[in-house]
Amino acid sequence: MNSNKLKAKDFITVGIFTAILIVVEFLCGMLGYIHPYIVASYVIMIPLVGAIPMMLFYTKVEKFGMLSLMSVLIAIIMFVLGMGYLGAPLIVCAGVVADLIAKSGKYKSFKKTIISYGVFCLWICANYFPVIVTADSYRKDLLDGGYSAEYCDDLFRAINEKTIAVLLILCFVFGCIGAVIGKKVVKKHFEKAGIV
Amino acid sequence: MHVALDPRTKLYMILVVSMVVLMTATTPFLWGVRIFMTLVPITLLFIEKKYASAIRFLIFYGVALVLTFFFLSEESSGIFTAILIGYCGIVVQFMPSMITAWYCVRTTKIDEFMSAMQKLHIPNGIAISLAVVMRFFPTIKEEYGSIRDAMKMRGITFGSGNVLKMVEYRMIPLLFSCVNIGDELSAAAITRGLDGNVKRTSIVDLKLHAADILLMLVFTAVLGVFVYYKYFR
Repeated sequence: MNSNKLKAKDFITVGIFTAILIVVEFLCGMLGYIHPYIVASYVIMIPLVGAIPMMLFYTKVEKFGMLSLMSVLIAIIMFVLGMGYLGAPLIVCAGVVADLIAKSGKYKSFKKTIISYGVFCLWICANYFPVIVTADSYRKDLLDGGYSAEYCDDLFRAINEKTIAVLLILCFVFGCIGAVIGKKVVKKHFEKAGIV
Repeated sequence: MHVALDPRTKLYMILVVSMVVLMTATTPFLWGVRIFMTLVPITLLFIEKKYASAIRFLIFYGVALVLTFFFLSEESSGIFTAILIGYCGIVVQFMPSMITAWYCVRTTKIDEFMSAMQKLHIPNGIAISLAVVMRFFPTIKEEYGSIRDAMKMRGITFGSGNVLKMVEYRMIPLLFSCVNIGDELSAAAITRGLDGNVKRTSIVDLKLHAADILLMLVFTAVLGVFVYYKYFR
């Protein structure tokens, strides 16, 4: 059989790490309801915390398609959990680009892995999409939905067309930093134990 | 009464609920539609004899609804109300889709799910990965519970106040067990011939029953009514 084709084992690995990543995202997401500035700081939190499982995942990726598949799954789950379909293309794009970058390093080069993970983290920003694209109606919806005006003002001060560029860059940068930390953690715990 | 719903019906329910959740209810009528839509999976949970989770969801959702309607408004401020708003915001906004997803995950067997996916012509890769994700949330919860127990037994509660340590102490053991479970799963999958090139058959024969069609119609109606009254009125 063609060794470049994904097999059941790869699908299962993807599934498991997607589940872990969603749990991380969800736990961080819970905090966002305390204050809107925390919503903006997802770009820092999630890349850093998510880096540990992702770096372990990267050591298991050897074929093209695993990262792309993961982004498709994330897009589906985000939709099911009510985050909207506007971000879905962005999530998948980030996944495919990350996959291509990692592929160019043959999934072994550490530098490429860092950049690839940074790009992959951009999926987090996809969750801000509805806030920006449909700003007015979103704000009205939030107010009608029982949020306080204070929360809305803060939210839109933190996330708008101007800050999104900053958020994207931050997301990428912290993705890279997270990748370095994550790699260290993986080295410290998993390589010693012989799991990688 | 026993109702075994087709997984395809459940998927359709998830789809509709997620779409409705995206659109915030603005009028009392729309709220009514929304509440009705949430009550359906809760009723189904009761029928499936999952009383504990059904009652829990009912209480969570009910309390949040009452709080949102009677105690919170645009003018509310302060840190306590902020947290309260947060809680109600999550629950009222996303609880419907969470309840539906929960209902589907708890009542769908993996082989049923796979065979439904096959009938819908979803690529094998996505189907397998989704099935694993679905199966894995309860596993993560379970594993995390045992990790917490082990930590308690050794007197480690908060990782001595260090946030990094807190994350590390929980994440690493969790990853270890997840990787192991993953290996076991793939071994099981290979024994079952998931890698084979032939078309797989399934022991369960999926058919749409009257209840399925009824539910699909109800949910289509919910979606239609919601969209109509929100955007064309």
